[in-house]
Amino acid sequence: MTTPNDPNNLDEWFPADRQAPVYSANGVAAQRLGVVVGGSLSRGLAVKLEAGVNVEEMAVGRYVVIHGLHQRYFCMINDIALESTNASVQSDPPNIDVPFIRDVFTGNVAYGVITVTPMLVIDDSGPKPVKTIPGHFMRVFTATESDVNDVFGEENKTNFNVGSPLELEETKINLNLKRLVERSVGVFGKSGTGKSFLTRVLLAGVIAKQQGVSLIFDMHNDYGWQITSENGHHVKGLGQLFQQRVSILTLDAQSSDRRNAKYDFEIKLGYDEIEPEDIAMLKSTMSLSDTMIDAAYSLRKMWGKGWIKRLIDGSAEDLDHITQNTNIGGGTLAALQRRIERFERWHFLVEENEGDSVQKIIELLVNQQKSVVLEFGRYGNQLEAYMLVANYLTRRIHHRYVEMMEKSLGDASLEPPQLLITIEEAHKFLEPQVARQTTFGIIAREMRKYKVTLLVIDQRPSAIDEEVMSQIGTRVTALLDNERDINAVLNGISGAAGLREVLARLETKQQAIIMGHAVPMPVVIKPRTYDTTFYEAVTAQPVNVQTSRKSLGSGGKRRI
Amino acid sequence: MSDNAIVGRVLRASTRGFDCGTHSRNIGEQHDFGAFVKAPIANSTHIYAIGLIYKIEIKDDQLISELVLGEAMPDSVLRDQRENRMIPVEIKVINVGYMSGTQMIHSMPPRPPMSLSDVYLCTAEEIFYFTQTHDYFRLVMGAAEVPSDDLLAAAIRYSAQVYPGDQDRYGYMVRCGRRIAHDLAHDLNRVTHVLGLLQN
Repeated sequence: MTTPNDPNNLDEWFPADRQAPVYSANGVAAQRLGVVVGGSLSRGLAVKLEAGVNVEEMAVGRYVVIHGLHQRYFCMINDIALESTNASVQSDPPNIDVPFIRDVFTGNVAYGVITVTPMLVIDDSGPKPVKTIPGHFMRVFTATESDVNDVFGEENKTNFNVGSPLELEETKINLNLKRLVERSVGVFGKSGTGKSFLTRVLLAGVIAKQQGVSLIFDMHNDYGWQITSENGHHVKGLGQLFQQRVSILTLDAQSSDRRNAKYDFEIKLGYDEIEPEDIAMLKSTMSLSDTMIDAAYSLRKMWGKGWIKRLIDGSAEDLDHITQNTNIGGGTLAALQRRIERFERWHFLVEENEGDSVQKIIELLVNQQKSVVLEFGRYGNQLEAYMLVANYLTRRIHHRYVEMMEKSLGDASLEPPQLLITIEEAHKFLEPQVARQTTFGIIAREMRKYKVTLLVIDQRPSAIDEEVMSQIGTRVTALLDNERDINAVLNGISGAAGLREVLARLETKQQAIIMGHAVPMPVVIKPRTYDTTFYEAVTAQPVNVQTSRKSLGSGGKRRI
Repeated sequence: MSDNAIVGRVLRASTRGFDCGTHSRNIGEQHDFGAFVKAPIANSTHIYAIGLIYKIEIKDDQLISELVLGEAMPDSVLRDQRENRMIPVEIKVINVGYMSGTQMIHSMPPRPPMSLSDVYLCTAEEIFYFTQTHDYFRLVMGAAEVPSDDLLAAAIRYSAQVYPGDQDRYGYMVRCGRRIAHDLAHDLNRVTHVLGLLQN
């Protein structure tokens, strides 16, 4: 028998001390939590907690690693339960005021069980989808930084640090931005859960890592220039962080001036540029009936490009003429006129627009490869204005992108950069009644191949068309507590049953779950703090050989 | 517990346990209920049966019966009967394992000790090694002929003395308690009873 030498050294005698870390990766100790005692791939694995593990330290969303015989299983905790070996413990609980009794019973007769869902298998060749489960009694450890890095990779030119997993605050969760932008992205969460903040972090990553350009319809002036956070601090907008890569446009110069927010130029839209299709998108927000929309098409056909202005200015005789010569009813026409008259309150709409707003934006996005923040100023509170402008611009940019992509099939150098269009209150654009017709619905469903994707921000994902939701590649979700919203977000996600508990129990702030195309597995993160450290990290210029040579005076050419 | 203190000599034995006898004047702390004792098994020089003392019997005889009834008995007679009577005190031991060289096995020994073999008190080091695992609990708890709950509690309290320091001793007691709770999971009342005995 091999026996320890020192009878006074109990650590030698008890190497399986429950509290002692028994697995170490890269010098970081992992605590042994328990052993697998049952479960299945679909329902998750039951893990009996070791006697020394405090069940209160477990948390849904936290990562654990199961060491199988040949590979590691990266898992997420999605349920925690209390069990006992004898049911009579419940009717006659021991007196745990006596420390000895407490220490004997806790974790032994009465013990904790966690249910963990295997997310990935890690072997020598890296993470892979999980298709099997570890055997009985395989040991379960807390995930170490090394385990997390094996799954989410190191930060590099496409991987961007978006935060840290729960309980592992020194560890980075890196999002693959290339994968993020190549499919549509959804940022969901209740009001006040930090959606804008999360979106700013994502957009800052995309811009910093140059993985695409973004057109941001900035409803509440959250992204462009200086923003006041909820706690009263001023934080930098994307325009301040990336002055060379972001252009700020505004629909309301007065508001920008009042806020002391810099902008590159003001956007105006001409009445003559608005088409009936743009009006049709406002059907629910402006309470337009089908007959009113039909009337709009008829008026456009009769009066040509200036139909809106003519309708607004229309005299009683004009309207009589219309009702007498078309099948448009007088009541319908009057109702349409009253609704369209609201446009007069929007000063960004002008009779004749001198410049081509769409062309300006395309020039910035494609030729200068700059992201564009379009601030709405005071019009952000008017949903009709927001929807009209977003629809108007997106529909035209969409057409241009299709043209450019078709041209680029013959000449790859003409290929435009990946475009991420960011919209807020997305369900208004993508609700089932309109999603099939709107440009946004088309982009969400089909435009991936034309290098245009959406970044939708919404607090009611259940109101978004199911088909559109199914096309959202990456979902970043802060707290949701409505059952329908949770179902909508989890629809189509593998292992959704386990994530439901996680999603419903996120903190109200500074916690989010990321799942889908850009991450190898769903991950609960504490997002990076949007502060000076973040500014410095995203604005730090990587060393570029070409620019370095230029700066050294060689003109970019190799010296011999 | 003193090292290699002699408990007595084997009177009768089986693989399940053995009885040993000693003179009544030798009775002392080495004969405590729950003490760990050892005896060499038959025809072996290195295998010792390890057992727990579960019963100490002082038997009577005809003279004792008469003396009990006698009145105004001189002290010298009583003392003579206590110290010089030729009926041994019987110490009953249940086997809970055996020691083969330095190996400790929690199972019944392959052979019983021979009659008249010396029975020794286990040393502190032997108890320390033997109690690193608790598999012997089942042998005690399953033995119908012994007061198993009290014996187990006494044995644990006895063996706890070899653990240095209050914290280590407490840790040992908790580990034993956990094992008892595990093994008797179906009978919570009994667990509570044994744990209560351990705390006393």
